[in-house]
Amino acid sequence: MVFDVLIVGGGVVGTAIFNKLVRIGKKVALIDKASDVATGASKANSGLVHSGYDPAPNSLKAKMNVRGSALFDALTKRLKVPFKRIGALVVGDDEKMIKNLYERGLQNGVKGLSILNRDEILKKVPNIADGNLVALYSKTAGVVSPYYLAISLADEGILNGGKVFLEEDLVNAEKEGEIFKITTKKNVFHAKNVVNSAGAGYNDVAKILGSETYPLSFRRGEYFVFGDTAPLNLKHTIFPLPTRLGKGVLVTPTIDGNYLVGPTSEDGDNITKTTYNGLNEIKAKASMILKNLNFKDAIREFSGVRVISGDDFIIEKSKKQAGVINLAGICSPGLSSAPAIAEYVTELLGYPLKEKEGLKELKDYTLLKNLPLKEQNAKIRENADYGEVVCKCEKITKGDIVDALNRPLKIRSVDGIKRRTNAGMGGCQGGFCFTKVVNLILKERKISYEEVLKENRGSFVALGNIREV
Amino acid sequence: MVTDVLVIGGGPAGMSSALSAGENGSKVLLVERDETLGGILNQCIHNGFGLHYFGEELTGPEFAHRFRKMVEREKNITVLTSALVTKLGENTATILCKNGVKEVKFKACVLSVGCKEKTAGNISLNGTRPMGILTAGTAQKMVNIDGKMVGKDVVILGSGDIGLIMARRLTLEGAKVHMVLEINSTSSGLKRNILQCLNDFNIPLLYNSTIFEVVGENRVEGVFYGQVDEKFNKIESTRKFLKCDAVILSVGLTPDLQLLPNIEKSKTSGLVVNEHYESEMPSIFTCGNALHVHDLVDNVALEGKEVGRYASLYAQGKLESGKTIKVLHSADFAYALPQTLFEGEGEVELKFRLKNKIVRKWIKVKSEGVEVGKRFVLAGVPGEMMTVKFSKNGVKNSVTLEVE
Repeated sequence: MVFDVLIVGGGVVGTAIFNKLVRIGKKVALIDKASDVATGASKANSGLVHSGYDPAPNSLKAKMNVRGSALFDALTKRLKVPFKRIGALVVGDDEKMIKNLYERGLQNGVKGLSILNRDEILKKVPNIADGNLVALYSKTAGVVSPYYLAISLADEGILNGGKVFLEEDLVNAEKEGEIFKITTKKNVFHAKNVVNSAGAGYNDVAKILGSETYPLSFRRGEYFVFGDTAPLNLKHTIFPLPTRLGKGVLVTPTIDGNYLVGPTSEDGDNITKTTYNGLNEIKAKASMILKNLNFKDAIREFSGVRVISGDDFIIEKSKKQAGVINLAGICSPGLSSAPAIAEYVTELLGYPLKEKEGLKELKDYTLLKNLPLKEQNAKIRENADYGEVVCKCEKITKGDIVDALNRPLKIRSVDGIKRRTNAGMGGCQGGFCFTKVVNLILKERKISYEEVLKENRGSFVALGNIREV
Repeated sequence: MVTDVLVIGGGPAGMSSALSAGENGSKVLLVERDETLGGILNQCIHNGFGLHYFGEELTGPEFAHRFRKMVEREKNITVLTSALVTKLGENTATILCKNGVKEVKFKACVLSVGCKEKTAGNISLNGTRPMGILTAGTAQKMVNIDGKMVGKDVVILGSGDIGLIMARRLTLEGAKVHMVLEINSTSSGLKRNILQCLNDFNIPLLYNSTIFEVVGENRVEGVFYGQVDEKFNKIESTRKFLKCDAVILSVGLTPDLQLLPNIEKSKTSGLVVNEHYESEMPSIFTCGNALHVHDLVDNVALEGKEVGRYASLYAQGKLESGKTIKVLHSADFAYALPQTLFEGEGEVELKFRLKNKIVRKWIKVKSEGVEVGKRFVLAGVPGEMMTVKFSKNGVKNSVTLEVE
């Protein structure tokens, strides 16, 4: 079979493109080297849908962000992905800079912007730190789970005929006439077009494809996660004034009820580690935004690596290799832009945006705990697995986890279950439920204990039976 | 559903308090989130349990089994397993179980939900987050319940009791436990565990030391470790690398009070309680590791027994209180429990932990400067929960614990 498009890289951008192309009726395959989608930059970022006041006017970033954000409501509703426009404040003491941002927002076509004085800030953020006298309030800024969005985009695509292949290592690419022959360690794919949305792996893929490489740098961002029981009393995203290196250390509620504090911004290699200095930097900077942060409430730290290529996104047709679309340096606001990038790439490929008829709707995977009481009881009556809690911190039931394992994209990792259900994301960080989740995965997937992964290949959860290894 | 006493958590504290409340004549509903009663005892297959309570040495599952049998025989107790209490109010609780989401009305409640382990996130462990970083309890579950090996070259961070137990356990299963790193200058583990689990197997225990950074992408590949100064700052000149495939964390336990996020916690991170172990939330009693972390399950069971009786009396309207005596302590103590007593007659017991090691000192209980009780301590360490008894006859306003 010859695919119309082969997408390399299943982050939120790759899955958005995959989803869109499937919906317009194309034959599409998506390959990723990881054991799940959204395991790179898409799993470790702030989870914010920006309104678009920050990027330089007329940049690709500005256009994609504003259009992308506008697409979020309908998209998340269709996919049943939780999304909330909670509003964001950029706070500081420099009125001129705030006004500049405001003006820039207007130029970018952002709606719902206003400037707040100290009293107005206090009404929205009672625990705002001293010295923050003025703020840009952006009403339409939102929060979403970036990985849950990517997973749902992939799942809906699969449901409608798209193919996702995981754990695929790209080995070779050659052209047979107009058709690409893409060889991985496991498979051979034929496709008319190739989209390189490999994120941190962009240049590696580009070299194999024979398309343009770019000078890319990796910027690591570390974060603290506070649990939902942390008494922050915070309802909006709070940024400091942006700097050249990014939007700075922010504090935000997540869509799941936790809080994120971060990120740092350090250029380096592509390793997601947390550091002593990085975490201390967050503590110092975040206290300039909120005064009631107690880092003893932190339940986790993580870091993510964003890929930077100059000031703007690179999204273009390859000039060196016809049929290849390059997507490089999709850092922030990549998540916000993803739905718009999908449309943009569709047009770059020369396809109309109109979706085909009779598309299937993704099943409702709403967690039991988020359903109305009546529906909870009905579901438990039908299947007692929904009455059996596996992750007690997040109140995730066996039924929720079995559902996640039966979603269209089949995974075998504990972190994959965490991204789909939040199991293991609470106060004990999986201390109580880790082995329970492992046992559910191996039963449902019909694999051995040792084949269950934490995340990617090689991260097997056990070495073997005791006394045998 | 309606009950006199709702007991939340079916570990040793919960089973013991359910038993004594039942024996005292109250109808009891005992709710356990796991499939069987016993709590963490079920995975503690080593011995050393029951010496005080049963007068013989048992394994954890044996200790749990004995209690389970007693609970089964007690007609006043209804047991509900695989059930999670998701909401707790003054006289009602919401339970999620295989029969649906149920409301339970109760007259008294014993919160005996135990504790949780501190995680890599809680201590901001630096480095990557590959597979192989496990809390000691999770590792114990994998090895003892699932029969799976968590690593062959192991480093243990923290010298809490479960970590020490796992050092021995993994050694017996053929792993090389390279070292136990303890950031403090003393261990929070029991002396007997250091002797039997580390010394007997020549496993070094390095004080004032910690992991600087975990290395590894998919599984743990090694750690950078070294010494810290008195403020726990890393001394970079002592930085060394050790190849290993597992990092087991035993860095502390915290009462697991997720059910009551907005109630003020004490120094133990448990609830503040009076002489009857009743919290500041009327009708809610608490005991076991949900109140403060114990060293011995025997003490948990004894505390549960006492608190179950109080909860039962409360449910029956027979529990009398009185004017409050505040329990205070000097800076030598990490905490003292309960936080308040009632004026009246009779002997009471205070439970406490020391902040630092003491040798040949008196622990004194004073009321308005006058000594009302004391005990001599030959050698006391923070790792050991201690008690002091005294008569409260005539004591008013407050008592203070001091070291002399």
